Amino acid sequence: MSTETGAGLAPGAARRPASGRSKNVDVYSLWPIAVMVLIIIATALSSPRFLSVFNFENILSQAAPLGIVTMGQCILLISGGLDLSVGYNIAFSSIITGLLLEHNVPLPVAVLAGIAAATAVGFVNGVLAAQGRAHPFIITLGMSIFLFGLDTQLTGGAPVNNMKGLYTAFGSYLPGGFPFFGLPSVTWPFLIVVLLTYGFLRWAPLGRRAYAIGGNEQAAYLSGIPVKRTKIYLYTLMGALVGITGMVLSGQINEASFNLAQNFELQSIACAVIGGTALFGGRGGAFRSLQGVALWGLVQNSILFIGFSSNYQQMALGVIIIIAVMVTRAQR
Amino acid sequence: MVPSANDVGAQGPAEALLYAENVSKRFPGVQALLDIDLTLNRGEVHALVGQNGAGKSTLVKCISGVYPPDGGRITFDGREITTYSPKHAYDLGIAVVHQRPQLLPWLSVTENVMLGQLPARKGLVIDRRKANELTRDLLARLRLEIDPEVPVARLSAPERQQVAIAKALYRQAKLLILDEPTAALDAQRSARLFALIDDLAQQGVGVLYVSHHLEEVFRLADRVTVLRDGRLVATQPTAQLSQDEVVTLMAGHRIAESSLAGSATVAGEAAPALEFCQLETDVLHGVDFVVHQGEVVGVSGLIGAGGHDIARVLFGLDRPTAGRVALNGTTYQPHGPKQAIAQGVFLVPEDPAQDGLVPVLSVAQNVTLVSLKAITRRGVLSLRREREVADRYVGELSIATSSVHTAVRNLSGGNQQKVLLAKSLTSKAAVLVLEEPTQGVDVHAKAEIHRIVRDLASRGKAVMVVSTDIRDLLQFVDRIVALRAGRVVADLPARSTTYAQILDLTVGSVAVPGS
Ligand SMILES: Nc1ncnc2c1ncn2[C@@H]1O[C@H](COP(=O)(O)OP(=O)(O)OP(=O)(O)O)[C@@H](O)[C@H]1O
Ligand SMILES: [Mg+2]
Repeated sequence: MSTETGAGLAPGAARRPASGRSKNVDVYSLWPIAVMVLIIIATALSSPRFLSVFNFENILSQAAPLGIVTMGQCILLISGGLDLSVGYNIAFSSIITGLLLEHNVPLPVAVLAGIAAATAVGFVNGVLAAQGRAHPFIITLGMSIFLFGLDTQLTGGAPVNNMKGLYTAFGSYLPGGFPFFGLPSVTWPFLIVVLLTYGFLRWAPLGRRAYAIGGNEQAAYLSGIPVKRTKIYLYTLMGALVGITGMVLSGQINEASFNLAQNFELQSIACAVIGGTALFGGRGGAFRSLQGVALWGLVQNSILFIGFSSNYQQMALGVIIIIAVMVTRAQR
Repeated sequence: MVPSANDVGAQGPAEALLYAENVSKRFPGVQALLDIDLTLNRGEVHALVGQNGAGKSTLVKCISGVYPPDGGRITFDGREITTYSPKHAYDLGIAVVHQRPQLLPWLSVTENVMLGQLPARKGLVIDRRKANELTRDLLARLRLEIDPEVPVARLSAPERQQVAIAKALYRQAKLLILDEPTAALDAQRSARLFALIDDLAQQGVGVLYVSHHLEEVFRLADRVTVLRDGRLVATQPTAQLSQDEVVTLMAGHRIAESSLAGSATVAGEAAPALEFCQLETDVLHGVDFVVHQGEVVGVSGLIGAGGHDIARVLFGLDRPTAGRVALNGTTYQPHGPKQAIAQGVFLVPEDPAQDGLVPVLSVAQNVTLVSLKAITRRGVLSLRREREVADRYVGELSIATSSVHTAVRNLSGGNQQKVLLAKSLTSKAAVLVLEEPTQGVDVHAKAEIHRIVRDLASRGKAVMVVSTDIRDLLQFVDRIVALRAGRVVADLPARSTTYAQILDLTVGSVAVPGS
């Protein structure tokens, strides 16, 4: 008979691992960094100009607007939601600002109005999503189509071509001028948003509520978390980030039009997912999503550097998204 | 290790249905299984017992192909298993009902039961009618009253458990593994399951039965294997053991039977905390009883008798159609959990996986979820406070976890239950409603939970425990309110009441005085 009396183990006591505190370093989650290193080495070998400060700044300023929305998308995905209206909402905010600037409204007022407009759209998304009658996918898709109509109506199809002060602030990243401590000025709103998102998800009660709702909405509700109100806040926050993106992006290219940020909704979701944010909520983080944005920007840039056509960009990005999801799945 | 001649009825590994040898499994920070041997014969009911986190479910998962063991061999029906996948195991004839089984909530009972093998016309279009008929037959044979066409999300926790059992039995299996199948079942439903297991064993099916209920183990099993901290402690015929001996083997030392029933003398002077006056809902009819401050009241009945519904009313999830609830003397009518918690009422729901916990979040994050305010300083979460609170409760309830940062879904079932209890303790509520608080927890932890509940009561809290486990209730409550079909059939002091008495009242085999 196989009887042995387990000597040496504290009877009935909670078992702690012998190895002490095992820090859970998730090797898989670092894969975007590994891929980036490989890409940097490969591209640098084939084109020495790739490793220039100028090109680095170029990547940064191109990735910044997408990066800002990705932070919002990351928060929403964590809460089990998502926003497909960001593309036309970015355009909406820029158009509001652009039209006001055209009518000689002072810059701060025009900017605030643009951000407020996008925030209002986010609020409406939030109110609708909080009702739980339809999936946010459908709600924000509907909102996106609505905004497309509104955007073209407002501009009559013709873009606003002078963003005045915004262009001065964000547009001069072109050769010769990096106005802000040697970095393209768009870096700063981007960096601040990333840090704030990190802090929000880690230290803000609202951020914690987002994780709880995304991880198990029913349990969150039974824990006394105001689920509806939290959702409204989160979508409204997304609206504000969208507004900021609208300002940055329209300033960069000195234009406000309905197709200012086409595909941003899918690209931002892709970046967050590449960084390991779960599509169905509960998991993800700001720095992880940042890795996704960085990888995305790097691939776009390096493929052009190697000299492939931009078609290859799309192909490479497609492959990366699929790998990303499979890696995230494998982790679970 | 080869089973020796002492093992009455044991056959050599060659003839055995299942023969596991030196099976080991490690998770980050935990050696969940180490060199486990297990022999299971055709027609044998073999029980697997051990404390929470002992490794029972992990062994079940290795055998059923959820994950491969790190070391060792498993031979089934004479052939070594080399491919570890649930599908492969199922094809070999191993059917499993996992602890807290996962069903697809938005699919119908039929679709869940027959998933992957739905009958199709010409191999293309699912033959819905035939599928429903087959499922209806199966459910009838198992004597379950469940409509095969409703989505699983609309079923109660015990019904979902029964659907999972039906799913496992849909195709004739050679080995049936049940991981704590009765945790969510009441006495009546459990009895039906036992009859079914007896039948299957008669037909030569091997059954591996995991349970914390030793009465069940001794009622059903031919042999019992005891695990402790991932190690094999003993395998013996149940006939050669007593329940006490099994408890001692599980714990590695003797545990004194906890009997705290009525130990707190709640006199009539204590103020009533909760009063139910002629409460009516779809299910409840004229429910009338009182829970005083400092008192533990057990509410028991068969599933569907109304205990769960009383809890729902208290947490603002259902509105009464008539009657009234008073909290500390004033009318109490919460609109939802948030208001209920704000007024000092907290509910620990019966289904931790579905309603209680956020599985991807850590132990610490789950424990503090109700009390985020308490760990917030100037609008910012204090992660240090959070860890302190979590550490305290992990220690107090001896939750076995490698750290408070471990995701709750990596904890064993019983430890998840304890996390849920810890959560309720942080809520600072004056009235606690616990649904099935000892479901799935081991003997040792049960005693601890009893002690904690008594302790809460002695600090003046009113505790209402809704449970179908009458024996368990009798050990630590002051009074038992017995429910049948939505009516209170008795309100008795626990000290002078017996298991049989309550069972008779709730099942309805005796006439109820005055009804
Ligand atoms: N997927 C996992 N990842 C990490 N650790 C795990 C995982 N699954 C189980 N464990 C750990 O392995 C140990 C054994 O867990 P197991 O679920 O087998 O216990 P059990 O005997 O079934 O307990 P219970 O009676 O509570 O259900 C526990 O310490 C648990 O925390
Ligand atoms: Mg288990």
